[in-house]
Amino acid sequence: MSVGFIGAGQLAFALARGFTAAGVLAAHKITASSPDTDLPTVSGLRKMGVNFTVSNKDTVKSSDVLFLAVKPPIIPFILEEVGPDIEARHIVVSCAAGVTISSIEKKLSTFCPTPKVIRCMTNTPVIVREGATVYATGTHADVEDGKLLEQLMASVGFCTEVEEDLIDAVTGLSGSGPAYAFTALDALADGGVKMGLPRRLAVRLGAQALLGAAKMLLESEQHPGQLKDNVCSPGGATIHALHFLESGGFRSLLINAVEASCIRTRELQHLADQEKISPAAIKKTLLDKVKLESPSLSVASGSKVSLFTNKSKKN
Amino acid sequence: GKVPASNILASAPSDKNLAAWRELGCRTTHCNLEVVHGSTLVFLATKPHILPGVLEEIRPAVGSHHIVVSLVAGITIQTLQRLLPPWTKVLRIMPNLPCVVQAGAMVFSRGSNAGDEEAALLKSLLSSCGLCEEVPESYIDIHTGLSGSGVAYVYLFAEALAEGAVKMGMPGALASRIAAQTLLGAAKMLLETGEHPAKLRGDVCTPGGTTIYALHQLEKGALRATVMDAVEAATNRACDMAKD
Repeated sequence: MSVGFIGAGQLAFALARGFTAAGVLAAHKITASSPDTDLPTVSGLRKMGVNFTVSNKDTVKSSDVLFLAVKPPIIPFILEEVGPDIEARHIVVSCAAGVTISSIEKKLSTFCPTPKVIRCMTNTPVIVREGATVYATGTHADVEDGKLLEQLMASVGFCTEVEEDLIDAVTGLSGSGPAYAFTALDALADGGVKMGLPRRLAVRLGAQALLGAAKMLLESEQHPGQLKDNVCSPGGATIHALHFLESGGFRSLLINAVEASCIRTRELQHLADQEKISPAAIKKTLLDKVKLESPSLSVASGSKVSLFTNKSKKN
Repeated sequence: GKVPASNILASAPSDKNLAAWRELGCRTTHCNLEVVHGSTLVFLATKPHILPGVLEEIRPAVGSHHIVVSLVAGITIQTLQRLLPPWTKVLRIMPNLPCVVQAGAMVFSRGSNAGDEEAALLKSLLSSCGLCEEVPESYIDIHTGLSGSGVAYVYLFAEALAEGAVKMGMPGALASRIAAQTLLGAAKMLLETGEHPAKLRGDVCTPGGTTIYALHQLEKGALRATVMDAVEAATNRACDMAKD
């Protein structure tokens, strides 16, 4: 089985690293493409032994499972560009936040009658094989296709199938989640430094504390509230600290964060569905490069682009 | 039904409250010494500033067969033992208001001469009024903050719940009754299932449903921290008052 990544940024790098480390895929069976060769992740991918190309079409041709690992506004450009090369055998896996299965299927169906589309939401810790991934299968993706993806993603962490309408919530929770954790860890380290610990040690200990706590929770039948209680000796240090967290509305801040991320994802999806994408939202150099690949795509500069009505002419 | 009313003797300087006792079938008197002479188990239930005087009064009549149980807030076992004969069996208890409806929460501690027998007797007697547990004396002030005063926090919460319902259009009397029943039912589930409250809370929260939306509001208001602050404030106040 060969895997391709359209896009050679953080996500492609993380997944490629994870798959190769897990041993489910040899690096030479992976292809990644991007018009932008200056990305720091590009050299990382090359060092891994992944086939790197500037041609998205080449990636499609040499892959069975095709990951769309580009930012959500770029997806329509990509589908327009590689659509003609998608065959019934391909499993197209979109990792783009807020991009619906139906929008992808709609776009691809102009090229291929029964495109197999799977939508997934993963997160960056796939790089260390502790990712959290959910996926939803599209109209023409079979149970086996879902299982194949699940096997791949399970090699780099936790993976389960969900209803598509839950994916935005997953984005808010585990998609963005690592960022919340990094913020917490940075602050915990600050606390340690304030109380006298050297920075490196503080970071190391903070990270280990969260790692250990998460592991305990995953391996325990107990409710996190119970596990918290188990740490809090009467009148001790921990309960004093927790009181501070509660006073600061710690819990509600986290609830707010998950909610905000989920709502923003839905907003972006809504914007995309309205098929209005400002070219300013896309890096100009990238756009130029895409134009070079598909000269028939016309983009009116300074005005909003409607990509779903422009059909590229086949040569 | 643990003790026949006729076996209970209560004393007070004036007749103000004694009528209520007589209605229950208890005997009454204005003489504290009479109570001590005629009883084995003597409860001290005066206001704190009155107690030293009362102890001085009854001290001569207190024997080694007596069990003296103080309900007086802020008076430590050390103080009680100091003001009573050295052989006296002393226990200290902190009840709370719902003892009246036999759903109280009480903690007690023993003095140096009170043994297992006395503790067991007290516990068996008081369990008829609710939950009764023996604790180290240092927990008594905490019990005040948690449960003694705690009852008032619950009344406040019940009032607020009902007010919310009234705002949304429900008549007040009905809202109050439902609020009270909700608290009763939730407490009963906690006590009977023995499950962690966080788990029971989670069980009520359907994904994307009404409860989780409401809980988010409570968290935004830092309800948990505020309640912790309240328990802390009451406990500290109890400690301070005991020092006076």
